[in-house]
Amino acid sequence: MTDADTLARIDALQTRYARALDAKDMAGWTGCFGEEASYVCIARENVEQDLPVAIMMDDSLARIRDRVTYIEKVWSGTFEDYQTRHFVQRVGCVARGPLIAVESNFIVAYTNARGRSEILVAGTYEDEIELRDGEARFRAKKAILDTVTTPRYLVYPV
Amino acid sequence: MRNDTALDIRWPAKFNEIPKEVFHRPDVFRLELERIFHGPEWHPVAHIAEMPKPGDLKTGYVGETPVLAVHGDDGVVRVFQNSCPHRGTQLKTCARGTADKIECPYHRWTFSNRGELLGAPGMGDFPKDFARENYGLRVLRSAEICGLVFVTLNPETPPLATYLDNTVEHLARAMGGDGRLKLLGYQKVAFATNWKEYSDNEGYHGPLLHAAFRMLRFAQGDGVQFMTPHAHKVNSTTLAVPEPSFIEDGSVVAGLDPRLPPHNIVISLFPVTIITRNLDVISIRYAVPVSPDETEVHYAYFAHQDDNAALTAHRVRQASNLIGPSGFISLEDGAVFNRLHVGARSDGNVAFQKGVRGPIAAPYTLDKGDEAGNLIRWEHYRQAMGFVRD
Repeated sequence: MTDADTLARIDALQTRYARALDAKDMAGWTGCFGEEASYVCIARENVEQDLPVAIMMDDSLARIRDRVTYIEKVWSGTFEDYQTRHFVQRVGCVARGPLIAVESNFIVAYTNARGRSEILVAGTYEDEIELRDGEARFRAKKAILDTVTTPRYLVYPV
Repeated sequence: MRNDTALDIRWPAKFNEIPKEVFHRPDVFRLELERIFHGPEWHPVAHIAEMPKPGDLKTGYVGETPVLAVHGDDGVVRVFQNSCPHRGTQLKTCARGTADKIECPYHRWTFSNRGELLGAPGMGDFPKDFARENYGLRVLRSAEICGLVFVTLNPETPPLATYLDNTVEHLARAMGGDGRLKLLGYQKVAFATNWKEYSDNEGYHGPLLHAAFRMLRFAQGDGVQFMTPHAHKVNSTTLAVPEPSFIEDGSVVAGLDPRLPPHNIVISLFPVTIITRNLDVISIRYAVPVSPDETEVHYAYFAHQDDNAALTAHRVRQASNLIGPSGFISLEDGAVFNRLHVGARSDGNVAFQKGVRGPIAAPYTLDKGDEAGNLIRWEHYRQAMGFVRD
């Protein structure tokens, strides 16, 4: 059972995560993860065929922080920037040992420099969330993209 | 001079200039499908590692033509038109799969995985001269090197070994030495660019566009850069990568494969396929020219069959983060493909400069960091399209 208090903390984390990405607040994004953490963004086609390659595979907090370095220090000034809006809908939530396994649907809209908006990706999050000192953080966050062929190259995590 | 086509493209007299309108015009795109994608060229459609077992299959496109590669139960890989010989229905819609038999859903005609027509409901009412052997799946001419299966839609295409020329030893080296690969997965993306902009990358831009090349202090060592008579480009060098100081996890640029010290190998096969070996990432980039304004690229990644578990895991982590459409050292390429395409809506010509010292012909050795070699691709393109210089 997950009580209302726990659900509220989980939803607060999901909201904080979406808000950080949509604000391009990358420190806010890394702050959603615990000390022991992983972030993976992978095409559903690979998941269904047991193929491990992902679009982003940050299987440690070090790699999560390195992704922020890529975005802010390496790629800066070259890519075509875009504005995202994440829409997240929790569809499952169960205790898994000391963690809480949460499944959500998402759609991410994006708007390009000419002001045109489209769907960037749709898919599901499969998350493992830890509660420590009353606050929820991701131990593992996996974004599985139904959008196997993305309509543009992804700069930011989903 | 008149073009050997009805199209009114004016090709500049200067060897290093390319008219921008070839990147946009729908009539040029239609002619490319006819003269290049249906022309005397070979197109990689699958590696055997993507369909290792009898019954395995993979769909793809050559230009706009849907193709279906099938590993037959006799061990032979055949490439068919992905179209029922009856009414033309697309046979397989999945990217990859496995099937004992291939059934068309429309009228339930059924084919073996060798392509033979096994049965068609109501055959008793077909014309008297209907012969089952004439209605197998339409087999396209195919050939294989190092497990990479090529197809051609043209009877005039030279034999594959002639066509690939001395790219073959480099293809083998890029693909693990012997092509004994294991599929690790895909990254797929649509670029808002023309296929010729996508495939026009060169050695000049590397350390300039990609800040990571400079920040990582990548040092290219010995190697070869050359163009073949069929306009394929090989760029292969050793690579020294000092332990990086500005990222926390240096394994993203580690070279751990005992069979090949760190290398950067890029083999651009005319027209659109690129086979790469960057550090421990083995990749085949299949590209589909969707329209004049869109190119879809499927990055397939591989391990070698002899890898131990640790090396495979390293390749997966490196393939995921280093060199794809969202890769640490490669993301900017996608941005430039798209920006080239917008910029090419303006009038005039684009002009190559770095390393250009007058007209060149293949075989041609280029210097590291030059863009001149691409002019051999362009000359091959111009002649295939029948455009005559001013």
